[in-house]
Amino acid sequence: MTYKMLAALAASLLLSYPVAHAADQAAPAAPQGVPAAAAAAMPAAAPAVAPTITVDKTSLENGGVITVTGQGTPGKPVFLEVFNENKVRGSHFDKTPNKETGKIPYKLYLADEIPAFYRIYVPTSAQPILDKFKKEGRGWSYSGALKETGGDVAYSEPGKRAIIVYQASLAASIVGSRGELLPALDDKERVRRSMQVVKGRFRSVDRTIVASVDQKDDGSFTAKVMIPQGVAPGKYVITAVTDKKAVSAPLAVENKISFPMRYMSNAGTSLNIFIPFFIVLALATFGVLMGAGGGFIINPVMLMLFPLPHNIVAGTVTPTVLFSQASGVINYSKIKFISWKVGITLGIAMLAGGFIGPVLTSMVTVDEFKFVFGWILFILAALMFWQTTPGYMSKNKKETAILKEFQKRAAEAAAAKAAKA
Amino acid sequence: MYMHIEFWGNEFKVNVIIGCIGAFLIAVVSSMFGFGGGPFMVPLMAVVLGLPMYVVVGSSLLAIFFNTLMSTTRHYGLGNFDLDLFLVMFPAALLAGWIAPKIAKRINPLWVKRVAVLGLSLLGLSLLGVF
Repeated sequence: MTYKMLAALAASLLLSYPVAHAADQAAPAAPQGVPAAAAAAMPAAAPAVAPTITVDKTSLENGGVITVTGQGTPGKPVFLEVFNENKVRGSHFDKTPNKETGKIPYKLYLADEIPAFYRIYVPTSAQPILDKFKKEGRGWSYSGALKETGGDVAYSEPGKRAIIVYQASLAASIVGSRGELLPALDDKERVRRSMQVVKGRFRSVDRTIVASVDQKDDGSFTAKVMIPQGVAPGKYVITAVTDKKAVSAPLAVENKISFPMRYMSNAGTSLNIFIPFFIVLALATFGVLMGAGGGFIINPVMLMLFPLPHNIVAGTVTPTVLFSQASGVINYSKIKFISWKVGITLGIAMLAGGFIGPVLTSMVTVDEFKFVFGWILFILAALMFWQTTPGYMSKNKKETAILKEFQKRAAEAAAAKAAKA
Repeated sequence: MYMHIEFWGNEFKVNVIIGCIGAFLIAVVSSMFGFGGGPFMVPLMAVVLGLPMYVVVGSSLLAIFFNTLMSTTRHYGLGNFDLDLFLVMFPAALLAGWIAPKIAKRINPLWVKRVAVLGLSLLGLSLLGVF
């Protein structure tokens, strides 16, 4: 029932969006006809007029630079909001202790419809502020950077999209659940949480806020909007904003991609399909040779090379080995080389573990994911090193000889049975 | 609690409690991070449970197959899956399974392991942000 309520709320939000947006634009369109209340709130400065914008091109081929020119209000900085029409999932797991109570919230914020590309463009003079936030490293504050640069006035699109909140708990995790579904957020809280989701998705300062709006004293401005290679295709909607009441009409630029580029809709990234193909081929081959399977190397390398979400990588690499494992099981079972009793007993324990693990993937950030993965690789390296020590080698030689002998016997027995039948 | 198994005329005693706890933990971690649990299941069964290699190879693969099957279903259900990415990676993984055994005959497994130790350590260090 809560689900239905949420869906209805999300739907009504989305439906009301074009209307609200139109109203935003209609208000400043009347020249000097600013409501008395707004004028009274800012008695010293003249009210801002909605900026106008033009773009130098209407379509791009796998990214490129769009030059946006326009006219704003003299003395009032203009900000650009650029978002892509494609939607991706973003999440934020809140485990920062509450400043007053010290309690850790353990809440999972899940947004299914954040734009596949989202950037705010701020005046070039704000570059030092961005540099300062870059120095803060991974823990930089997106909302803080938006506020200090003034770019928060242009932040609107992700805050309009629905966010589902789960109250995670140890008990819920044990049964493999994301937790209890919490009531929908109010507008202010949704905007705040959406910033955390956006930051979790795009991670760095460079990929979320760009200082490129060059404004002259007469209020006219130009801005270079760089759409990088490998981002989502489709419409990029550009809006110029001076303040919440002075918003330009949106303009759209189409980004086209063609073979061998392919848009991975859930991952939110366009890739030249040959690059991951050959990388996976090389890594999986090495993985099979060292006897550990490719997942150990494919997961971290894909995360290092491409801007992919870690949960998508983990969940997509897993099924690639399903087929080879199944054929391995069939081959061993043909020569009766499986102890079903042990295999199934431990298999049931693994079923339970495999039920829980995937829920935890989206509860860690990509940095935590990489950190733990680093330690897993050290353990694996230690195991591999142990396998190269003389003691293990001589023991293994004997074991392998026994293994070969049994395999031979098993194969013979299977052949004899086949001959009888 | 011990389980008795019979495998090709030999009898073995397996500590089920330790085996199941170990297998469960390996499954949680491997399904969370998206790798096969093989390299951890083999030492668990061979060293901790004391089973000989010829019992371990096939049986560990069966246990891991259960894990991969469940993990795949769960990841898919939770939306941690991209079909296009899968369609790129899957043929590459299949091809690797065909190429690798052909290369394996020509190279010394000891050197593969040594390269793996070095490669995994370097990858591990870079994941920890050391360089």
